[in-house]
Amino acid sequence: MTTALEILLKLAAWLLLAPLLPGIINKVKAWVAGRRGPPVLQLYYDLAKLWHKGVVLSTAVSPAHVIGPAMAWVAIAGAALLLPVGQTGASFAFRGDALLFVYLLAFARFCIALAALDTGSAFEGMGVAREVSYAVLAEAAIITALLTLCVQSGTVSLATMLAPSAGAGAALLAAGLFGVLLAENCRVPFDDPNTHLELTMVHEVMVLDHSGPPLAAILHGASLKLLLFAVLLTEAVLPLGKLSLLPAIGVLVGSAMVVAIAVGLVESLLARLAFRRVPLLLTTSFLLCLFALLVAWKGGTP
Amino acid sequence: MTPGWLLLLAGAGLAAGIFSAFKSPRLWLVTTLIGAGAAFAAAVLMLASGVTWDWRPGFVIGGEALHLQLDGLSAFFLVLLSVLGGAGTLYSSEYWSDKAHPDSAPAGRAWWNALLLNMGCVLLCANGLHFLIVWEIFTVCAYFLITRERQRPATRAAGWLYLASSHVAMIFLFAFFALLAARTGSWELGPMRGHPELAPLFWLALIGFGLKAGIFPMHIWLPSAHANAPSHVSAILSGMAIKMGIYGLVRFTGWLPVPPSAGWVVAALGVTSAVLGVAFALGQHDLKRLLAYHSVENIGIILIGLGFAMIAVSHGNAAWGQLALAGGLLHVWNHGLFKALLFLGAGSVLHATGTREMSRLGGLWRAMPWTASLFALGATAIAGLPPLNGFVSEWLVYLGLFDAVSGRGHAAIAAIVAAMALGVTGALALACFVKVCGVVFLGLPRHEIAPHVHECGWRMRLPMLVIGVACVVIGLAPILFWPALATAAAAWQPELANSIPPAPLVTLGAFHLALAALVILAAAFLWRRVRRNGLSRAGTWDCGYAAPTARMQYTAGSFAGIITGWFDWILRPQRHEQPPGGNFPARAGFEEHTPETVLEKIIEPAGSLVLRLSLAVRHLQHGRVQSYIFYLLLGLAALAILAVMGGAK
Repeated sequence: MTTALEILLKLAAWLLLAPLLPGIINKVKAWVAGRRGPPVLQLYYDLAKLWHKGVVLSTAVSPAHVIGPAMAWVAIAGAALLLPVGQTGASFAFRGDALLFVYLLAFARFCIALAALDTGSAFEGMGVAREVSYAVLAEAAIITALLTLCVQSGTVSLATMLAPSAGAGAALLAAGLFGVLLAENCRVPFDDPNTHLELTMVHEVMVLDHSGPPLAAILHGASLKLLLFAVLLTEAVLPLGKLSLLPAIGVLVGSAMVVAIAVGLVESLLARLAFRRVPLLLTTSFLLCLFALLVAWKGGTP
Repeated sequence: MTPGWLLLLAGAGLAAGIFSAFKSPRLWLVTTLIGAGAAFAAAVLMLASGVTWDWRPGFVIGGEALHLQLDGLSAFFLVLLSVLGGAGTLYSSEYWSDKAHPDSAPAGRAWWNALLLNMGCVLLCANGLHFLIVWEIFTVCAYFLITRERQRPATRAAGWLYLASSHVAMIFLFAFFALLAARTGSWELGPMRGHPELAPLFWLALIGFGLKAGIFPMHIWLPSAHANAPSHVSAILSGMAIKMGIYGLVRFTGWLPVPPSAGWVVAALGVTSAVLGVAFALGQHDLKRLLAYHSVENIGIILIGLGFAMIAVSHGNAAWGQLALAGGLLHVWNHGLFKALLFLGAGSVLHATGTREMSRLGGLWRAMPWTASLFALGATAIAGLPPLNGFVSEWLVYLGLFDAVSGRGHAAIAAIVAAMALGVTGALALACFVKVCGVVFLGLPRHEIAPHVHECGWRMRLPMLVIGVACVVIGLAPILFWPALATAAAAWQPELANSIPPAPLVTLGAFHLALAALVILAAAFLWRRVRRNGLSRAGTWDCGYAAPTARMQYTAGSFAGIITGWFDWILRPQRHEQPPGGNFPARAGFEEHTPETVLEKIIEPAGSLVLRLSLAVRHLQHGRVQSYIFYLLLGLAALAILAVMGGAK
C-alpha cells in the first residue's frame, strides 16, 4: 500500500512540477532582455485553458492525431517513473531499465511524429523529418552516456548507475548531455521555440494543427521531458545517491533551477544555428559523451 | 500424439496440398492449414517437453540412411515456419486467387506447399546429403514462387538474380558438406565439437548460409526478389527463408568447432548489416523494397546477438553471451512475425491500389482502417519500441552488450561499438517507419488512385490479425517464451542447459502490460475529452496558404533527405535535376533513385569483366580445322614432355 502511495506521490510531483521549468526559462530570458516577461506559472494557465477549449481538427486527420499525443504523454510519464530520485530510488527499478527509459522517449517521439504527419501538411512533414533525423545523433549520444555510466558503475540499472558521480569525466558528460537536452527539448541553438517562421521550426511546426486538450497533452509532455533530462543530467554528474533524502531533493531542485537558468542564458545569448550546422553540434555532443566514456574506461578501476 | 505422428500428419497434409492445388483450392486450403497446425503442435510439444525426437526409419535415399531429428533448435524455427506458413496460406487464398490470376495461382499453390514442406525438411534433416537435397529443392521452389508474374521483365530479372546468388551459395554449401563428410568419413550430422580440424569449414558455411540470410555485402538478391514476389511469398521469404540461413549458421556453429575469430566476424557483419540495411531502406521509394532492406537490418541485429554469444562461448561461457543469444534467437521469431505482418499489409495496399510506389499513395487509412492499424502495429514493433516484441529482443541483446561492457572483459570495446550501432539503428528504423506510415497511410492521397480502393477481405485480414496478436503477446508477456529460448539455446550449446530466466524479464513484461493498458486508457480518455469540449472540422492550416494541394505534402524522398544525405558515400543516389531557369521558368523536375550499390557498383562490373575476359578466350575457337589440329599437336607435345620430364610412374 505504501509503495503504491509512494509511486502516486512521486508521479504527482513529476507531473505537477514539470511546467515550472519553461516558466523559469522564459523569466530568465525576459530578465536578460530587460523585459518583465510572462509569469513563471504561465504554462499552468495555458494548460488549464487548453484543457477546457474545443478542438479544431483538420479534415485530413485520422484518430491518430488525437491518440498520438495521449500515447506519447503516457510514455514520457512512464519514463519519469523509471528515473530514481536520490536515495529513494525509482518507482520501478530493474536491470536494463536504462534502455527502457531511452526507448520510451523514442516511443513518444514516434507517436507525436505520426500525429503530425497525419495533417498532410508540408510544414509538418518538414518538422517531423528534422525531428527524427536529429534524434538519430541524439540517441547515439544518449546510448554513449549510458555506456559511460555503465562503465563507471558496473551496472545497467538507472538506480545504481546514477547513484555515484560520473567520475573524472563528469564535466565532459555534463556538457554532452546538456547538448542532448537542448536538442531533444527544442531549445536554441537547435530550434527556436519562439520563432515566427514555420520554415525554420522543428518541434513547434509539428504541433501547428493541434489544439485544445491534445495540445495540452503535448505541451505538458514536453515540459515533463525537459524536467526528465534536467534530472538525468544532474544525477549523472552529482553523486546524489550518497546524500540522504532531503538534501538530495534540495540539490535536485537547485540543479534543475541551474539547468533552467543555463538554458535561458543560452537562448538569450546565442542565435539558432543554420540547419546544416545542427548535425555538427549534435555530433560534438556525441563526441563529448564518447570522451567521457574514454575517461571512465581509463580512469576507473576494473 | 507424439511429435513423430504430428510431423507425419504435417508432411501428409502439405503433400496432399500439392496434389489438390490444381483441382480444388478449398481442399488445398484445408489440408495445408492442417499440415501447418500439426507442424506447430509438434514443435510446441518438443519445446515444452524438451525431449529430442530422433527417427531413423532405415530407408536409404541416395545411398544414405534417412535420419530425421527435431531438437530444440529445429523446433524453435519450425514454430515460426508453421505460423507464417499457415498465415500465408490463408492470405494467399484471397490475395492470389484463381479469379485474379487464373494462370499462375494453381501452380503457385503447389510450389507454396513444396516450399513449406522442404523448409520443414531442412529443419529436420540430420544427414548432410539429404540436407543439401532439400535445401536445393527449397531454393528452387522459392524461385518459382518469386517469378509468379514472369510476364514482367523486372520479375524475371529478380528471379534470375535470386537463382544465381542462391547457387553461388549452393556451391559453398556443397564444398562445406563435402569437406565435412570427407574429414569425418560420414554424411551423418551431429555434435562434433571435439574435432578442432573442422573449424576452418566455418568460413564456407558463413558464405553459403550468409548469402541465403542476406548479410550485408551478400544481400544483393534480396531487395528485388522481395519486391517482385507476390506479397505472401515476400512474407515467407523475409520471415522464414532468410532465417534458414540463420538456422544454418546457428546449427553449425553449435555442432562444429569454430575458428577463434568467428564470433568477431559474425558480430562485425551484424553491425554492418544493421546500420547499412536501414540506411538503404531510408533511400527507397518502393514500399516492398524498403521492407526488404529492413530484413538486412534485422538479420544484422540477430547476428550481433549470435556473434557475441559465440565470443562468450569461446571465452568460457560468460553469462552475457546467454543474454545476447536469447535476444538474437527471440529476434528471429520477432522479425519473422512483424516483417510478415508488414509484407502482408503492403500486399493489401498493393492489392487495393495497384502500386508499390509510396509517392503515389497517401491517406489510405480512410479506406483501409484495418490494414493501416495493423501496419502501424508492425511498424511500432519493428522500430523496436516498447511495449511490443521488437523491443524485448533488442533489449535482451542490449542487456548482453551492456553486461559485457560492465564486465570490462576482452569483448567490452566491441560491445561498446555494437551497442552504439544498435542505438543508431533503432533511431534510423524509427525514422524510416514514421516515413512509411505517414506517407502511405496518413495525410491525403497524392495521386488519383483508382476509385475501387477497398479494405481487404477477412481471409487477408485474419492472418494479419493473428500475427499482430502474436507480436503483442510476446511484448507483454516475454517470460512465457523463455523456456522455448532456453531449450533452443541448450540445443546450440549443451552448457547453456538449465539457464535461469533473467529476473528483469518478468518486471519488463509487467511494465509493458501496465504501459499498454495506460496507453489505451489515456487515448480513450483524451478522445472523450475532445468530444466533450466540442469538435469542429476545418482544412489543414498550412500556415495560411489558401490553396494547398495533396501534391504539396512531404514525399518519402524529401522526408528521408537529411539522413540519406549523411549516407551518400555508400547509397550513391542518382539524381536527375532540372532546375527552374530563365525569367519565366516553365518546367522543373527533380528525381532521385537509390540503386543497389553493392550490386551495381561491385558485382556487375566484376561480372562484365569476367565476361570480357571470357570473350577473349573465345578467339581460340574460330572454326579453322588446321589450327585445331595444331592445338592437338601442341597438347600431345605437352603431354609427352610431362611424361618424360615428370618421370611417369
